[in-house]
Amino acid sequence: MNSRNVLITGASSPLGEYLIERLLSDYRVEKILAVCDEGYPLTLPESERLSIFQLKMRKQRKLHDLLFGPARESQVDVLIHASKVFSANREGVAVRRHNVETVRSILNFADRHPTIKRLIFCSGAEVYQVQRDLPSLMEEQHPLNMNSGAPQWIRDRVELDVMACTRMGLSHLRIVVLRMAEILAPGCGSQFFDYLQTPICFRPLGFDPMLNFLTLADASSAVQKAVHNKEQGVFNIPGADTLPLSRAIDRWGRIGIPVPNTVAHYLYTMRRFMRRGDFRYGMNRRRFHFTGIFDGRRAADILRYIPSHPIEWPIEFGGEK
Amino acid sequence: MAIPPFIARYLGNRLMSKSLRSRLDNLHFRDAGHGYDAFGLHPSFISFGAGVTRWPYEKYFRVVSSGQEHLPGEGAAILAANHSGNVPIDGMMLWHDVLRHTHPPRVVRGIADHFVPALPFIGTTFARGGMVGGSRGNVRSLLEAGELLMIFPEGTPGIIKPFHKRYQLQRFRVGHAELAIRHRVPIVPVGIVGAEEQLPSLFSSKRLGKMLGIEAVPIPIFPFPLPVRYYIFYGAPIEVYRSLDSKDADDPEIVARVARQVQAEVARLIEHGLEQRKGIFT
Repeated sequence: MNSRNVLITGASSPLGEYLIERLLSDYRVEKILAVCDEGYPLTLPESERLSIFQLKMRKQRKLHDLLFGPARESQVDVLIHASKVFSANREGVAVRRHNVETVRSILNFADRHPTIKRLIFCSGAEVYQVQRDLPSLMEEQHPLNMNSGAPQWIRDRVELDVMACTRMGLSHLRIVVLRMAEILAPGCGSQFFDYLQTPICFRPLGFDPMLNFLTLADASSAVQKAVHNKEQGVFNIPGADTLPLSRAIDRWGRIGIPVPNTVAHYLYTMRRFMRRGDFRYGMNRRRFHFTGIFDGRRAADILRYIPSHPIEWPIEFGGEK
Repeated sequence: MAIPPFIARYLGNRLMSKSLRSRLDNLHFRDAGHGYDAFGLHPSFISFGAGVTRWPYEKYFRVVSSGQEHLPGEGAAILAANHSGNVPIDGMMLWHDVLRHTHPPRVVRGIADHFVPALPFIGTTFARGGMVGGSRGNVRSLLEAGELLMIFPEGTPGIIKPFHKRYQLQRFRVGHAELAIRHRVPIVPVGIVGAEEQLPSLFSSKRLGKMLGIEAVPIPIFPFPLPVRYYIFYGAPIEVYRSLDSKDADDPEIVARVARQVQAEVARLIEHGLEQRKGIFT
């Protein structure tokens, strides 16, 4: 089997760190170039195979110099892009430049890069539209959330996803978009993780949709499989945990209180302004009403990815810690 | 859903007969990891549903069914039935009847109109009992997983039709025929007699329906369903896959022809049922 030289952006994020550890233990990966955003603390392991670079991702010139400098010298053939602004509270031109324009630059640079052959983009569940008349089990061709009134957090993610998808087949690059289910872990931009941080969780009265959660172990396993696979395309990456919202709240050890939709909206708006929490009820309103979980058959068939790492819930069945 | 699964199971066990309880011990479903299937079905709520519908099934509507040998014991199939009665009690009785008469017991997955999942409490309760929103993707996933589906091809116009149109089948939609051809599954026609008279209505208010986000709201004469006797007739499976290819699902004429064939078979079963019964309540 061919060995790989991999460049990973967003290396200081929990997914990046997890992925680097996994790739370091993978004998098929020779060199790893970890790219972190400037100003973030690094907790990456030391290894001869690992080189770390810190730069501002939104600076095109620096990104170019990295790709055509150290990355070319290291014969990087796979680029994994996992860098994103995770906070839903941060908006504006700089955030858009980081989330969207960086992807555009990567696509353009990689297109004329002598060694990069494969691009892997980490997208998420938030790009999909969830509504009552759409399938509960979402395949890759499920409608995307193209609502122009959606917050920038969603619009940016949909745009970068679509941008990567439209470039498939237009160049020699093999492009993979991994649409990952919600990673229930800190620092991953999970709206539900932030939602579950308060002792009392309000949920819409009369609704209890099914949700699917992914662990960092499964997410990094999916990326690793995409690194070694030759196919390109869009893949849903579901997690091993599919359960109703009320059950997720229980298992996280929280108290779920059903309230009318407008009350929940008001309470979470108040919370956002008072606690500076990331969770925005309006952005997740439909996901709190209607089931929208991933159909991972394509990833299972082509990438051989099967979720196998369920969440270690703080509360076990029966209420024991 | 406010009821935790263990309470639902306890209530279900209290309300079910011993034989029904032991039958449900063999219930098979695809656990997605936390005791629920991907669409929200939970076996405790199947017990609860079976317990709650037992009394109306046995005592109130005194359901009599025949032709159960046509119900497939395994594999995907579509039950296509007539829809009536202003409230979906016919669906509940059919759901309960299939649970009783399949070996091992099978939960028939009701395919509901788009507005049902949006109804507070009702949407969630039905989902726990196996109902799924009627989108093409959902139905395809269920058929590929080998599930038994319950489809009312008349849709909402069937259930809300006024009393003077009783036992007049409304236009059959063709989705069930297309799915059966594409996925090569049999269609079991089902004729339900009795539901038409359970809650007669004079007219349906489209304005009220618009306010509630549904097609129309029927205005019934009585405040509660009458104790009519239900008859459920299962017809011989229409095995479209024997003469048609999956590609024929894209031919509108063939699909319409199969839908007409199903409608004719359902109409025949209804006619047979109306001849058989001696009165509305007996």
